[in-house]
Amino acid sequence: MTDKKSHPSLLGATLAIVQKDLAAEFRSRELFSAMLVFSLLVIIIFNFALELDIDVRRTVAAGVLWTTFAFAGTLGLNRSMAVEKDRGCMDGLLLAPVDRSAIFFGKAISNLVFMLIVEAIVLPVYALLYDEMRIFQPGFLGVILLGSIGYIGVGTLLSTMSVQTRMREVLLPILLFPVAIPVLLAAVKASNGILTGAEWAEIVTPINILILYDVVFLAVPYMFFDAVVEE
Amino acid sequence: MQSKPIALTILDIVSVIVLGISTYLALVFAPTEAVMGDVQRVFYFHIGTAWLGLLGFIIAAIAGIAYLITKDLKWDRFEVAAVEVSTVFFFLTIVLGSIWAYPAWNTWWTWDPRLTTAAVTELIYIAYFMLRQGLDDPDKRARFGALYTLLGGISAPITFMVIRLFRTIHPVVIGNQSAAAQGGFSMSNDMKVAFFFALFAFTVIFVDLIWHRVRLGALQEQVEQLKLKLSN
Amino acid sequence: MFLETTPDTSNYMIAGYVISFLTMGIYVASLYIRNRNLRQDQQTLEDLDRTESKK
Repeated sequence: MTDKKSHPSLLGATLAIVQKDLAAEFRSRELFSAMLVFSLLVIIIFNFALELDIDVRRTVAAGVLWTTFAFAGTLGLNRSMAVEKDRGCMDGLLLAPVDRSAIFFGKAISNLVFMLIVEAIVLPVYALLYDEMRIFQPGFLGVILLGSIGYIGVGTLLSTMSVQTRMREVLLPILLFPVAIPVLLAAVKASNGILTGAEWAEIVTPINILILYDVVFLAVPYMFFDAVVEE
Repeated sequence: MQSKPIALTILDIVSVIVLGISTYLALVFAPTEAVMGDVQRVFYFHIGTAWLGLLGFIIAAIAGIAYLITKDLKWDRFEVAAVEVSTVFFFLTIVLGSIWAYPAWNTWWTWDPRLTTAAVTELIYIAYFMLRQGLDDPDKRARFGALYTLLGGISAPITFMVIRLFRTIHPVVIGNQSAAAQGGFSMSNDMKVAFFFALFAFTVIFVDLIWHRVRLGALQEQVEQLKLKLSN
Repeated sequence: MFLETTPDTSNYMIAGYVISFLTMGIYVASLYIRNRNLRQDQQTLEDLDRTESKK
C-alpha cells in the first residue's frame, strides 16, 4: 500500500502538511483560542461542581485535567478536519502526489501540536490556581505526552471519518470516547500515581499500556488511512 | 430475491426447539443453587448471551478486515449482521447480569472490569450504527464500518486491562459469596448439562439470526439499487 | 460456608426470563417488519420501473 514511488519523501510531505496547518493557524488563531478558552472554562466549572478543597484536589487533579484535555481535544480535532473539508483542502491534498499516510501523519502531528500548546498553557494555570507545583515533573509531563499521542492518533482517524458523515461534529465524541477510554483511563491512572507519589511498580503498568496503545493506534490508521480518504 | 432456502426454514425450527429445551433445562432440570436461590438460573441465559456478544464482536472484526482486503460487499452485510445480533444479545447479557447481581451482590451494578468493558463495548456497537446511519454511499459506509469494528475490537481488550488496574478486587457485597461473584460456584453435573446446552442453543440461534439479517441486508441493497436506477 | 436457608429469589428469575424472551421477540419482530417493508418497497419500485420502461 505504501510502497508506491512517491516524489517527496514521506517525511518531507508530512512536514509540509504540518507547516501548512501551523502557518494557517498562527495567522487566524481560531482553533487555538477556542480550545484554550474552552479548557479554562471547564476547569472553572469543575472547581465549583466538585468543590475542590485541598484534600479532594489531590486525588482528582489528574481526572479533571484529562477530562478537560479530552473535551478540548475533540473541539480541536473537529475544527481542524472541518476546515480541510469545507475549504476543499482535502481534495487538494488527495490530488497531491504524496503518500496517503503522509496526510495522516501530517494532520496528526499538527493536531498534536495544538493539543500540546493548549496543555502547556492550561497546566501552569491549573498549577497556579490550585498551588499544585508537583505537575512540573518530567514523569508527569511524559505521561501527558504519551496520553496525548494516543488520543490524537485515534482521534485524527475518527475525525476524518466523522467529518464525512451527515452528523459531522456531533458524531466525533460518540465515536472517539468509547475507543479512547483505555488511553484516557491509563493516563489518569499514571498521572494520579505520579502526583500522589505512588511506587514505581504501580505506575509502570499504566505507562506500558499507554505505550502499547500509542503504537497500535498509530499503526492501524497508518495502514488503513487510505480507506478513509478515498472517494 | 430468491425465496427462503429450506435449510434456513429447518434452522428456524431447530432454533425454536433448542431454545425451548434450553429454557426447560435452565428452569426445571437444573437444581436450585443453595446460596442464591432461583435467581441463579438466570446464569444459563446470561452466559449464553454473553458468549454471543463476544463471538459477534470477533466475527465482526474479522469480517471488517476481510472487507478491507477484498472490498466485497458481502463481508459488509455479514459484519452488520454480526454487530446487530450481538448488540441485542449483549444488551440482554447486561440486563440479566444486573438482575442477577441485585439479589446476589445487593447492587444492580459494580464498576468491575467485566461489567465496564461490556458497557463500553455496547456503546461502541451503538456508535457503529450511528456512524453508518450518517453515510449514504454504500462503499464508504462499508469501509468506515469495517475500520470502526477493527478499532473497537482492538480497544476493548485494552479497556479490560486498564480497568483491572483500577479495580483489582471484585467487590464482594455479601459475606461468603466471593466464589459466586467470580461466576465460579461449583456446578453440579446437572447444572453443567444446562450450561453447555445453553451455549449450544444460543450458538444455533445466533447462526439463524445472522443468516436472516444477511438476507435482509441483501434485500436492502437491491431496493437501494432499484431506487438509484429509477432516480436516474 | 454458613448454613442458611436458600433465599426466595424466584421473582428475579422470572423477571430475567420474561425480559429475555421479550427482547428476543422484539428483535425477531423487527427483522420481520423490516423485511416486509422492504418487500413492499421492492414491489412498488418494480411496478414503477415497468411503467417507466413502457413509455
